[in-house]
Amino acid sequence: MKKFFFNSLLFFIIFFIIEKSAYLIISRAPTLEYDNRLELLIKGEINKDLIVLGSSRGATNVMAKEIEEQTGLTSYNLSYMGSNILFHEFILNTLLKYNSAPDKIIFVIDNPYEFIDVETLTFRNDRLYPLSKYNYINNELIKQKERNILSKIFCLARINRSDFKFKKKEMPDDNPMDSSGSMPYVNKNPNIELDYSKGKNGYSTKNEIANRLEAFYNIQKICSNNNIELIFVFSPDYQKFNDSFKIRFERLLKSENTIVVYDTLNPAYKNKEYFYDTSHLLKNGASIFTSEIIEFLEKSK
Amino acid sequence: MLFNSIDFAVFLPIVFILYWFVFNYNLKAQNLFLVVASYVFYGWWDWRFLSLIAFSSIVDYTIGIKLMKENNPIKRKLYLWISIAVNLGFLGFFKYYNFFIDNFSTVFSLFGSKIATNSLNIILPVGISFYTFQTLSYTIDVYKRKLEPTKDIISFFAFVSFFPQLVAGPIERATNLLPQFYRNRKFNYPQAVDGLRQILWGFFKKIVIADNCAEYANMIFNNSDSYSGSTLVMGALFFTFQIYGDFSGYSDIAIGTSRLFGLNLRQNFAFPYFSRDIAEFWRRWHISLSTWFRDYLYIPIGGSRGSYCNKVRNIFIIFIVSGFWHGANWTFIVWGFLNALYFLPLMLAKRNRLNLEIVAQNELLPSLKEIIGMGITFGLTVFAWIFFRANSITHAITYIKDIFTASLFKIPEIRPSYLIILIVGFMIFEWFGRNQQYGIEKLFFNKPRIFRWGFYMLLIASVFIFSSRQQEFIYFQF
Repeated sequence: MKKFFFNSLLFFIIFFIIEKSAYLIISRAPTLEYDNRLELLIKGEINKDLIVLGSSRGATNVMAKEIEEQTGLTSYNLSYMGSNILFHEFILNTLLKYNSAPDKIIFVIDNPYEFIDVETLTFRNDRLYPLSKYNYINNELIKQKERNILSKIFCLARINRSDFKFKKKEMPDDNPMDSSGSMPYVNKNPNIELDYSKGKNGYSTKNEIANRLEAFYNIQKICSNNNIELIFVFSPDYQKFNDSFKIRFERLLKSENTIVVYDTLNPAYKNKEYFYDTSHLLKNGASIFTSEIIEFLEKSK
Repeated sequence: MLFNSIDFAVFLPIVFILYWFVFNYNLKAQNLFLVVASYVFYGWWDWRFLSLIAFSSIVDYTIGIKLMKENNPIKRKLYLWISIAVNLGFLGFFKYYNFFIDNFSTVFSLFGSKIATNSLNIILPVGISFYTFQTLSYTIDVYKRKLEPTKDIISFFAFVSFFPQLVAGPIERATNLLPQFYRNRKFNYPQAVDGLRQILWGFFKKIVIADNCAEYANMIFNNSDSYSGSTLVMGALFFTFQIYGDFSGYSDIAIGTSRLFGLNLRQNFAFPYFSRDIAEFWRRWHISLSTWFRDYLYIPIGGSRGSYCNKVRNIFIIFIVSGFWHGANWTFIVWGFLNALYFLPLMLAKRNRLNLEIVAQNELLPSLKEIIGMGITFGLTVFAWIFFRANSITHAITYIKDIFTASLFKIPEIRPSYLIILIVGFMIFEWFGRNQQYGIEKLFFNKPRIFRWGFYMLLIASVFIFSSRQQEFIYFQF
């Protein structure tokens, strides 16, 4: 029995020492990413007056740089393509943990998918994987059940197979990220034939998910506790505006927060030359929409 | 509690230390501790179902004693049927109630009469199919006077509930496992090291092979209408390796864990994908279940004796019942039926016992004839697994139809090269270890420690790196 315990312990100690070499792989992972916004957040390097949060609609339809140039408010876009409200809450918490609180947050709403479960909106764990050398990120991955508790001790448990791709990721040609974190579409989508008539109205609360609603309340509460002006923004779609969802959304809204809806009468939003697809504007369209936000910000000064 | 969970990683060392250092002074105390540990292991999932195991154990223990004392054949038979009714009653209720209700309703509706059915929201107790068969085998063996019934209730409870094999087998026979609880157990270093090695290999099979295959098999089977024929073939292949890695991995962990406690379980998988015909496949796949059905169903109904019709009937019965054992779904029944069809020609031509030894024994590579035999058997098995994995018969048929289209000759849309390399590497290890109990039993056996430990560390590293989300073992649902 002594031999068994001695050998087991020896094996464990040697393994424990050798496995630390996996840190080399973990520490290299962030350098292969083109999108380093989350790492900048953790390093406390995003201290801005205005932050844009949201999914792809926020990333592509709102130009933080233009807001900064026009309003004088330092601005940064922390919207992530395909992210859901739970991820937005995580980004907000991370922002406030490591950086100074912004004065304003522009929160771009996914009309009508904000509170329901859709395949295209997820908690973007893939954005967290490359940063698993940070304990804060690793703890979040454990919370998301993407890592197990052993990853607190073993470096190997923080690696997954995607870490073995050593080629630097390239920025997408269609929507490259600018210095303010926005990712406007610069090329038209050759695969989509847009048709304005295909819009749907109506909204059912039956499909709402409790944790999405909770995240929405939390976001409002966090902003209120940190004296952040929270502005919810409905960005243009190449279809009729869904009023039913807006009515539901207003019921969940705290009185101190405001909503900005794009100018539904603006003929530009009925012109497909400004759209990449139904929900995403091209850069020229994003500029028009951003100017509406700027106008609102200027008025509310 | 799942083997691939942190809970088990904490549970096992605690039980191991208490077993060898605290309760080793007395055999009864050690066995009682195993019962308690096993009940904790099972209760971790849902403590309410512990009463089922306890009740089943009490019934079979009591009936065993009664059978020993009773000489009246009618009364003996009555006791046997009580045991069968209790055990199969639980199994039937928890596993098959809704299936029968739904099918009765469908049959009636075919004749134009609609009946209101009351399907129940029943939770299937984990491992019920396994421990039910284990306790049944005890009673049947005692009834047939092949086994002396035990008077040691603690040993009997330990036999029924022994945690490594409680929820997914191997289905142990009382003749093998029960006497081991009567004997004092001494810690045996080589046995414990061998146990750890087998546990490691089991984890590799489960986490690296099965769970990664599951990711792609699920993706393809769940969206089968959107993929080309060649991708659907890949999906079936991934499931083939998933189910093997999953189930044989579980068996390896169970057998290895038992060895840590000085107890030996029987081999449950003997490299089935190297079989040269279906009969050999069934001698190598889920051995404890196949032999159970052979001894307690096939032979009692006549086996390979009797008329041509009886032989055919018996083959179909054993395979269809075996399929039905896996789950209350027609897909499993068709899977069993298909295997009966595969097996029947061999049986009737008396060629079902041609390949008793492992392929290419004492040779490095198989002959061309053996390669062809293995290829055909593997292909037939993959085909049958489509029914096993599909959600319904219609799904399986559509899946097969979609394979045999022009798109079969396209390059598959899903072809994860890392996984294909892993599977090929895994099968190479299995090939070189095919004469042993498990793939790496004697790998680097006579080599310096640095080679062996280096290899084990590589396996552990791959388990860490290739682990995806924690997935349950497939056989838990059976």
